[in-house]
Amino acid sequence: MAKRVVPEINAGSMADIAFLLLIFFLVTTTMDKDTAYLRKIPKKVESLVTPPPVEEKNIYKIVINSKQVIQARDSIIKPEDISTLNSRIKHFYLINRGKKTDRALNYPYYAYGSKELYSTNLNNQFNRLDALEAQEVQDDRTQKMIEQTTAAIDKWQQKLNMMNLYTQYSGKQEMPEIAFEAHIRLESFVDTDYSAYVAVQSEVQRAVTELRDEESEALFGVSWTTMNRYIQTNALEDTPELRQYKKHAELIETLYPLSLIEVKPKR
Amino acid sequence: MSKFKKDGGKPAPAINTSSLPDIVFMLLFFFMVATTTKEIDPLVKVIPAQGVGVTDLTPFKQRSTVDFVYLGEPLAGDASKFDKGVAVQYDGLLHPDGINYIGRWKTAKFNEKPAEMTDPKENIITCFKADEKVPMGIIFTARDILRDLDFNSIAYSAAEMGNKNAYSIREQ
Repeated sequence: MAKRVVPEINAGSMADIAFLLLIFFLVTTTMDKDTAYLRKIPKKVESLVTPPPVEEKNIYKIVINSKQVIQARDSIIKPEDISTLNSRIKHFYLINRGKKTDRALNYPYYAYGSKELYSTNLNNQFNRLDALEAQEVQDDRTQKMIEQTTAAIDKWQQKLNMMNLYTQYSGKQEMPEIAFEAHIRLESFVDTDYSAYVAVQSEVQRAVTELRDEESEALFGVSWTTMNRYIQTNALEDTPELRQYKKHAELIETLYPLSLIEVKPKR
Repeated sequence: MSKFKKDGGKPAPAINTSSLPDIVFMLLFFFMVATTTKEIDPLVKVIPAQGVGVTDLTPFKQRSTVDFVYLGEPLAGDASKFDKGVAVQYDGLLHPDGINYIGRWKTAKFNEKPAEMTDPKENIITCFKADEKVPMGIIFTARDILRDLDFNSIAYSAAEMGNKNAYSIREQ
C-alpha cells in the first residue's frame, strides 16, 4: 500500500476570513458600558391616616432649582462647588455616631443595640405569641396580632444575628444604629437639568459608599464595593463565599443605610 | 549620478505573511472580550450625565432584567414636534405620546415574555438614559406611571467620571 500524500491546505485566505470576522465584531459592538444609579420607587400606600411628621433633625434636605443652584439645609451651593455635598452628607451621618451625651441637636441621634436588649425583645415577642395562641377564642383580631408578632420575631431575630456578627468582628458589645427615620430628602424643580440631578445623586452615593467602605475595611478587611460587585456578578450561584458576603454586606448596609426620598417637583 | 536605481539589483524578498492570521485572530478575540453587543441604534442625541460610584448594569443585561428608555433631542426631524423638545425612544421607536406611552410599553414587554422566564415585576429595572439637558419633570411623570403599575426599580444612567473632578452642569 502506497502512503497517500496529504495535500497541504492553502492558508493564504485565513487572514481574510479573520479580518472579516474582526470587522463584523467591530461594527456590531460598543465599548462603553452601561452604568447607572439604581433606585427604588416607594410602593403605593393607600391609607387615610397621615403619618406623624418626621422631626426636622432627621431630614437632610437638598433642593435643586431650575438654574441648577443647590440648597442643602441652610447653605446655598453653586453648581461648581457641588462636590462639597459629599462631606456635608458624611457629617450628617457621623456627627452623633458613638455619642450618648453632648449630641448635636440638629442631627439624627443614634440608638445603641446590645445582645441583651435584642434577646429580651425577642423573648417578649415569643411570650406574646404563646399567650395569643393559647387563647380560647380565636377571631380575626387574634389572627392579625399573631401575624404582627411573627413579623416582629423575624425582625428581632435578624437584628440579633447582625449584632452577633458585629460583635464577632469588631469586639464591641454595642452596635450603633442611626435613627430609622433619618433620611436625605431630594427635591427638584420641573425644569431642573438631568445632569444636575444625577450629580447630586452621585454625591449622595459617594458619601454613603465611602462610609460603608471604611466600615467594611475595618470590620472585614474587604470593601463594601468589592463585596457588592461580587454579589451582583455571581447572583445566580450559591457558594459559601457568596452567602458570607451577602451577610456582611447586609450588616454594613444596616449600619449605614442609604435612605433617599425623591420628591415629585411641584413647579 | 542617480541615487535611486530603477533597474538591476536583487528583487525585494517577499514578506512572510504566515503569521498574519494569528495577529488578526488575536485582535478579533480582544474585541470579542472587551466589547458588548449594541442594543439598538439611537434615534435621540444623548450626552450622558457624569457621576461617581455608578453601578455596572452588565449583570442585569445578561439576565435581561433591564429595559432602556432613551430621552433627548431627536437626531432627525423637528424637535419642536415633541413635548418640551424631548423625544422618548422605546426599542427603536420614537412614540408620539412621549413619556405617557411608558406604561403601555412596559406592560407589553412584561407580558410578551414567557411566564417562567420573568422576574417579579418590581425587580425589572427601567433605566433612564437621558441627555444632560432633559428636565426632571418628564422623569418624574414616568416615575408616577411606573409606580402605579408596580414597576418599582428604576435607574438613572450616568457615565463614570473617572479622574476628572468636575461635573458638567449647565450654568444659567
